[in-house]
Amino acid sequence: MNLGGAIRAIISFLIFVVLHYTLRPLLGWRAPMDFLVLALLLASVRVRPATAAVIGFVLGLISDSLVPGALGAGAIAMTVVGFGASYLKAVFFADNLVLNAFFFFLGKWVFDILYFVGEQRVKGVELLQQLLLWSPLSAAVTAAVGVLLLFLMRPLLEPAPA
Amino acid sequence: MARAIRSNTRFDLIILGTCIVLAFAARALPETMREPMATGMRRSFLAPLVMLQESAERGRQSLLQAEPKQAHLDSLSLGAMKAVSLESENDRLRKLIGLGSRLRWGFVPAEALHGRGVRDETTVILSAGSRAGVTRLSPVIAPEGLVGVVDQVDPTMSHAMLWTNPDFRVSAMTPDGTAFGIAQAHLTGATGGYLIELRGVPFRSTLKPGAVVVSSGWGGVWPRGIPIGTVLEEIKTSEGWARTYLLRPAVNPADVYSVMILRRDRLAKGFDGIWESTAQVDQAAQRIVVSGDSAAKAAALAEAAARRAVIDSIAKANGTPLLGVTPPPTPALDTSPEAVAARAAARRAAAARRAAADSAARQNQANPTQADTARPVIPADTTRRPPGAIR
Repeated sequence: MNLGGAIRAIISFLIFVVLHYTLRPLLGWRAPMDFLVLALLLASVRVRPATAAVIGFVLGLISDSLVPGALGAGAIAMTVVGFGASYLKAVFFADNLVLNAFFFFLGKWVFDILYFVGEQRVKGVELLQQLLLWSPLSAAVTAAVGVLLLFLMRPLLEPAPA
Repeated sequence: MARAIRSNTRFDLIILGTCIVLAFAARALPETMREPMATGMRRSFLAPLVMLQESAERGRQSLLQAEPKQAHLDSLSLGAMKAVSLESENDRLRKLIGLGSRLRWGFVPAEALHGRGVRDETTVILSAGSRAGVTRLSPVIAPEGLVGVVDQVDPTMSHAMLWTNPDFRVSAMTPDGTAFGIAQAHLTGATGGYLIELRGVPFRSTLKPGAVVVSSGWGGVWPRGIPIGTVLEEIKTSEGWARTYLLRPAVNPADVYSVMILRRDRLAKGFDGIWESTAQVDQAAQRIVVSGDSAAKAAALAEAAARRAVIDSIAKANGTPLLGVTPPPTPALDTSPEAVAARAAARRAAAARRAAADSAARQNQANPTQADTARPVIPADTTRRPPGAIR
């Protein structure tokens, strides 16, 4: 990735992070989109798996620090998701919106599974309901928003050649 | 090449493992360490994000509460709009209650129902009829003064002619009885309001603007002393033998919604002191406030005196000095000849003062007037007491 591409990627990443802390609380949906996961996925496809894991770890710590009692759960989930996304980038990040949407959906769902299991706050039927109903819904919304943003920010989000 | 790839993969896995171990370590931290760590991050490099999130939350709350707030604002506006009319109605009702308490008996309270048709500004329907004791030609009054007279009576309601009616007349006079006349409605213009004309005032009687005009009691319908209006100015008419004055009416019939109908048996008892001037009412209110203050002050003084008496009696019982009294130090008794002579002289002087006081008291008993103005002589206490003794 050249310097210009790196700067554009960083700007896109920051935009997603800011959207996560502005648009998401403003909408306040029951199944919210996750801009942090989107930012992580879009960054992961541009860097090595090790770097993606570090980015995921840092992003996870950031999100955990704003949720009392969940420190570490998000870091685990984001680390795994970032590493996996970077590892699978050649498979998924083709110039195909449907594939990208599935990539976002899968990334968000896996993140939620790891997060809620690691957090251990929600248990039993409630956990199942969360993982099988609300998490897929949230993942679908995230995927839709991700595809939309991918379309809108195409000049900024051109992936580096694999 | 293959070795490089394997090396890179191993490096990636090592980093992944490190990150996961660190994340698990963070997860496994005890609550006492986890929370300070999170707080430290929130207060340092995450502070801008926290601020953004708080702003967004506030924005969402504002959006959610916008509709209830608007509804609340509308309710408040509606309440504020009603408040003015409620205040004026409250004021009128208070006056009406005050008038009722002054009249004491012989009246029928009624609601005045205004029509909105032609000539309806000169008549009104009253919500009390013959069953309540209303009869034809019963005077209708408001706290401010004269309103009209009942001209038709039904069992449950009655019809009254307001003073604005062209057929309405009332004998009027000034409160001191120096000028008499006949009051009737005076239409100021095609679209203007009503004033009152006081006609037939003797030419020798001049009324100044602001003079109050009341009903004279002549004619048998209206009792004496009900306010009709105040003089605005004299108007010129073709009658050369009498003056005509324009009065500002005491009551605007359009604003009258609650009235009192005077029963015929009440008219004969008089209405002295029923309509007091505003100044008198204000003075009475001020007197009530002042007397309330005086009573409170007297109560406070009495309470303080009682408290002081209790403390003094306790102090006496305990043999301690009274409250606020510092016992003077008793000097040692001087036995020198000069001191003995001085004490003897002091005793003689004290005896002389006591004798003078006794004679003055006898004189005062003989002459009470002088006793009221004479300054009382307080005999000096020269009795020697041991140290610490209570006087």
